[in-house]
Amino acid sequence: MRAAALLSVALLLAAAPAALATTQQEVEESLTCQCGCGLTVHACNHLQCGSGEPMKKEISERLATGETKEAILDAFRARYGEKVLSSPTFHGFNWLAWVTPFAAVTLGALALALAIRRWGARAAGAPVAAAPTETDGALRERLARELAEFDAE
Amino acid sequence: MAALGRLAICLALLFAAYATGVSILGAIRRRRHLVRSGTHAAYAVFALVVVAVAILLHALVEHDFSLEYVAAYSSSTLPLRYTVAALWGGQKGSLLFWVFMLTLFTTIVQLQNRERNRELMPWVTATLMTIAAFFLGLLTFVTDPFERLPIPAREGADLNPLLQNYWMTIHPPSLYTGYVSASVPFAFAIAALAAGRLGDQWIRSVRRWALFSWFFLTLGNLFGARWAYEVLGWGGYWAWDPVENAAFMPWLVSTAYLHSVMIQEKKDMLRVWNMVLVLLTFSLTIFGTFLTRSGVISSVHSFTQSGLGPFFIGFLLVVLVVSGGLVVYRLPELRTPATVESFLSREAAFLFNNLILVGIAFAVFWGTVFPVVSEWVRGVKITVGPPFFNRVNAPLGVALLFLAGVGPVIAWRRASPPNLWRAFAGPVAAGVVAAAALAVAGVPLGYAHSTFALGVFVLGTIVQEFWRGMRARQAMLHESPGRALSRLVGKNRRRYGGYIIHVGVVAVFVGVAASSVFRVEVQQTLAPGQEAAAGKFTLRYERVTKQDDPHMSRLAAVVSVWRDGKAVTTLTPEKRFYKKPQQPTTEVAMRATLTEDLYLVLGSYDEQSGLVTILAYVNPLVSWIWIGGVIMALGTTVAMWPTAAERRAPAYALGGVRVTAD
Repeated sequence: MRAAALLSVALLLAAAPAALATTQQEVEESLTCQCGCGLTVHACNHLQCGSGEPMKKEISERLATGETKEAILDAFRARYGEKVLSSPTFHGFNWLAWVTPFAAVTLGALALALAIRRWGARAAGAPVAAAPTETDGALRERLARELAEFDAE
Repeated sequence: MAALGRLAICLALLFAAYATGVSILGAIRRRRHLVRSGTHAAYAVFALVVVAVAILLHALVEHDFSLEYVAAYSSSTLPLRYTVAALWGGQKGSLLFWVFMLTLFTTIVQLQNRERNRELMPWVTATLMTIAAFFLGLLTFVTDPFERLPIPAREGADLNPLLQNYWMTIHPPSLYTGYVSASVPFAFAIAALAAGRLGDQWIRSVRRWALFSWFFLTLGNLFGARWAYEVLGWGGYWAWDPVENAAFMPWLVSTAYLHSVMIQEKKDMLRVWNMVLVLLTFSLTIFGTFLTRSGVISSVHSFTQSGLGPFFIGFLLVVLVVSGGLVVYRLPELRTPATVESFLSREAAFLFNNLILVGIAFAVFWGTVFPVVSEWVRGVKITVGPPFFNRVNAPLGVALLFLAGVGPVIAWRRASPPNLWRAFAGPVAAGVVAAAALAVAGVPLGYAHSTFALGVFVLGTIVQEFWRGMRARQAMLHESPGRALSRLVGKNRRRYGGYIIHVGVVAVFVGVAASSVFRVEVQQTLAPGQEAAAGKFTLRYERVTKQDDPHMSRLAAVVSVWRDGKAVTTLTPEKRFYKKPQQPTTEVAMRATLTEDLYLVLGSYDEQSGLVTILAYVNPLVSWIWIGGVIMALGTTVAMWPTAAERRAPAYALGGVRVTAD
């Protein structure tokens, strides 16, 4: 199950648009602005922002020296703590953040599939007379409803 | 006057408590006069709340700065429309506004059900009045909107400048309407459980209310997105802020309910599930309020923050325990034999649609609370920001869009190969052609591409449904095309209203996908007369203009926009400085068309050099999000509109929002 969930996460994430080279924007989007705006460094538009602006500048300087995205993110993480990253890492406990939603949907889908199979088998195996009873019930209800409608008019 | 307002709230609390108690007693002992007394007490609560609201509004409009609330959220120079909107601009006022809506809806429900739902109504009254009592209790004991300042202020601190915007007058009321009206289906669900009336009656009674609540949640979310887009000036409309999530989650669960309830109506199955969805929608509205007010999770909506968190979490726990307990208690009676014959059936498609909608709601919930979970477990603060939500929800959203094409047209019970061919050959062909054409046109494969192609597929199914229905009427009844179309929709409002809503949903999906993936951003520092390129546009910074009045001072950059050597328009992004709260804001300038928005933000201005920094965004197809919203609103109106029979006999307008009794 865990493997299946992991695989589905991997597949889904692989389907996400992949950037070819590390860009300024990509790094900026991976970091959260520390000015309290709650946005990523890229989205923070306080142009004199005391947090976002120096970070943007530092990112571009580091990129210019050929540092990788990971190295840059690590440097910021060492300074501000893990909260500076705009999304959870894929390691340790944080892994749960990514996997749980997909695991929940996958489990739900499996449960639903099993239930539908069981319900289908019941529908197929049920005696022929059983079906009309239900229809009768629905018909009776509809009749009652329509009579009520008629009364109401 | 303020003392009178406070008295009204205290009395309202007493009456709400009385209404709750006497209604429950009346229901258990089956005494009509007790039930009636409860109803009358609920009317009194409404009347008293109206008095309190009127007094607070009067104080705002009259600038009575001896009241703490008026001094904190308005000023003598604040324009009237925002002075009125300050009623919901702060914590205390917004809670009072909440009770106002709740008691208004309670009154409407009671008028609608004077002669109906005798078994359910005392419980409905008791539930709604319990909720009202909770809010009135907060207003009485914890956060008094009529609190006086020891020394009256000379001037108010003013409304937060970010809130001084056109959308302030409609976004919060829409969202509150959606939130609060979710209490009505909840109250009927609790009533059904308490009274043991678990059949279709309660579902039919709240049909319109559920749609009404969903309608306003939809509008509230879209208005909020539009507001963020216009005001916050970062070029986007949705930041997965905890409070946005709080408004989005009940919408998702409510959407799931509106779909799955059709299966219950048709096949009398999923009673437990539908009950759970209604209970969950309401619980999420309370959870959302908790998120907004508690400050547990940091958010751009922190202006409503306060120490009310524990009260809301306590109330939420009570709601969950009571509803969960009732569901478990009634479980044997709620269970009905389910039959879904095949995966290729509308039942199955709807069930998977529910799975995805609730799955997205869960993903959003999980991402929102994960920072708190992480802090508990590891003691480390982390951020779960937009990249997380986009990545997790994009595949689920694409799956949902696919199901939106399948669900409405696949056959009930079991789709045979000929049926599948008849239903899907055309739309699938349209989708495939669109996918190929887009690829040829250079749209890279990925989420945007899949969304566009699936959008065409969904539109294909809808067009086909309208076309076939219309042709059938033309052939059978010899109607003209226009008449056939309007009759078709008129006779099946829910169905065709639903299709129209789906058209709107497709438009929103397309707008979101295009603007997320193909956005262009440019940041340039320019001297007067200098130019910069932004996508297909050339921007020329001409000059700055300045304006000053007692309320604020404004600085605007005049930017002429050119395309292919022709002048297109002139845009003036501004910076404003609000004098009372001493706070600067940015005013976005936009040129919106059906194909793209050119969105300019004035970053900074250097007085000495005359240099400005301009941020320019070219956001493709954003307009379709708002257009989609309008289409969804139109579709919902069609679906909610009473039929001719209902209009003639409003007493029969089951759960309708109309209250005219004559």
